[in-house]
Amino acid sequence: MNAKKIQFRLGLGAVLFAAFLVFYLVPFWVTAPDNVPRIVLSPIFWPIVLAGVLALVGLGLLFSSRTISSPAAVTEDNLVHRPTATARVVTLAVLMISVVYALPYLGLVLTTMLVIVALGLLVKTQHPKTVIICAVLVPLILYVFFAHIAGVAVPQGNFLRLP
Amino acid sequence: MSLIDNLLAGLSLVGNIESFLALFIGVAVGTVAGAIPGFSATMAVALTLPFTFSLSPTTGILLLLGVYKGGIFGGSIPAILIKTPGTPASSATVLDGYPLAEKGQAGKALGMALWASCTADAISNLSLILFAGWLASFALSFGPPEFFTLILFSLTIIAGVSGDSLLRGALSAILGLLLATVGLDLIYGTNRFTFDNPNMMGGLNFIAVLIGLFAIPEIISMVWNPRTHNETTRSLGDSRVTFAEYKQNFVSIVRGSFIGVFLGSIPGIGAAPSAFLSYSEARRNSPNKENFGKGELEGVAAAEAGNNGVAGATLIPLLALGIPGDVITAIILGAFMIHGLQPGPLMFVLNADLIYGLFIGLIVSSVFLFFIGSVAIRGFKHVARIPRSVLFPCVMVLCTYGVYGVNNNLFDVGVMYAMGWFGFMFLCFKIPAAPFLIAFILGPLLEDNFRQAMLMSNNSPAILFRSPITWVFWTFTVVAVAAIVRAGYRANQKTEDLAT
Repeated sequence: MNAKKIQFRLGLGAVLFAAFLVFYLVPFWVTAPDNVPRIVLSPIFWPIVLAGVLALVGLGLLFSSRTISSPAAVTEDNLVHRPTATARVVTLAVLMISVVYALPYLGLVLTTMLVIVALGLLVKTQHPKTVIICAVLVPLILYVFFAHIAGVAVPQGNFLRLP
Repeated sequence: MSLIDNLLAGLSLVGNIESFLALFIGVAVGTVAGAIPGFSATMAVALTLPFTFSLSPTTGILLLLGVYKGGIFGGSIPAILIKTPGTPASSATVLDGYPLAEKGQAGKALGMALWASCTADAISNLSLILFAGWLASFALSFGPPEFFTLILFSLTIIAGVSGDSLLRGALSAILGLLLATVGLDLIYGTNRFTFDNPNMMGGLNFIAVLIGLFAIPEIISMVWNPRTHNETTRSLGDSRVTFAEYKQNFVSIVRGSFIGVFLGSIPGIGAAPSAFLSYSEARRNSPNKENFGKGELEGVAAAEAGNNGVAGATLIPLLALGIPGDVITAIILGAFMIHGLQPGPLMFVLNADLIYGLFIGLIVSSVFLFFIGSVAIRGFKHVARIPRSVLFPCVMVLCTYGVYGVNNNLFDVGVMYAMGWFGFMFLCFKIPAAPFLIAFILGPLLEDNFRQAMLMSNNSPAILFRSPITWVFWTFTVVAVAAIVRAGYRANQKTEDLAT
């Protein structure tokens, strides 16, 4: 993506988001009491001001995208095989969502052990043995610090109970 | 209290094994982290933050300051050995450091980097001690309108100089200000963008946003393009810097230190521009200017003095005004807040012992940096070769533990991952993340001061121009915007000229 395209998309996104704020998010998700004496003190004032400035910045980005002339540069990112990279990133997103839902059942230690192994596989590590050693040691060391030194109630889950 | 009383009170606070050990560990961890390419000083400070929760405020903040100082120096190790700056601030060090390494003088380059770093660090710390108290006493006369204009000016300059474009910086800052509105309203206590989720009523957790924005995007980037570092490190050669060599480069080191102090005390400038400015000034004034870029020891000294001169000075606006000058000081501000402290002019009155304790710690950190750096030069060159495919999965786990540990809340872990994707989009669209984070921190302060000013003036905006201080900040803001727009226009013209 060249600079012109980036600037245009950002500008368009900013203007659309500002409109979304003004017409949906602020009216429906910001509660303002009826007895506010002055508009500047209302809880909706600040978000509306920010939405206005956001729209102005978006328009500025759209306008400036017309004046930019930049050819597409060959960067390291252009050399990545996009379908494979996209598949990897989507897998990572699924992994992150799974972690949030699995944490209460598997516990922090077991979940993070699996995360290290999964990430190692995802990036096709050339050091699988080191990854496995780290997968066992790092979560255990962190558990010892957070549970026994920092006094954090680390979730244990249903399968692995640690002292 | 007199200066001596304050110093003694500070000494009584930090004069114990725990504080000095935290500082020592901090410098060591920072040096190692800075030496790992891709693992910036920012990430190191962010990941150390959760470990300070169980420590006393002084010990915790000293640990973070140690990581900061060590991280800035550590970045020079891979910059010289494998031509990959460990931190953006070390980019200028590559210019002469790597050619010296190719000549078999890597050890000498690293030695000079260490001497220059320690000298600049000491000068920067002394500047902090001299100027922060003075600025804080001046800032005691600030009211809500003055603070509003000061924060507005800081955000403008941070948005303008953090990236390639003022508009993208402004976009980043506005998104940060918007995210800061999530939670209960400051005056009426009504819901704003909480989406009926009780977890969001207190606003989004600062640590989750911070770690999500700065650590997780690096992991996503690695998954997007999992390339390995195959660079080979050079042999060190002779690592001793003679007194004659140090003396020969002393003027450049001192000049670079003061450039660092000056640029570091302005919010938003950061260490990288300071290093490049110091380097170019040294080159302009050197009798060996034609040798710069081909392996000139003075180039390494100037670049390192420039970036380390910033380290103490960035704490001047933080401690005196409560305004973080860059991302790392924003994280340190977060550490203060977690421990129930609010940096700013009042802190010099209410917590003078802590302030002077930190000053003493900072001076000691320069000494620790010298000894740890000397060992690091010889021992840590292998650190730069830690495979990212092993390192980053561990970083992700560290992030998860750290963020969960703040409030024992799994929701924060979800926020961190979500912010990680947000940060990745920032990387893809080349939006600077620093204005976002600093606006997220300063947002409630900006809004609060604005609303207080409006309450004071019975809704009259004239109060925002009530004193010479507000006029000064308004003028600075307008001048900053004009200068940034002009610089952007010129850069665009230059690109067009090159294209045609």
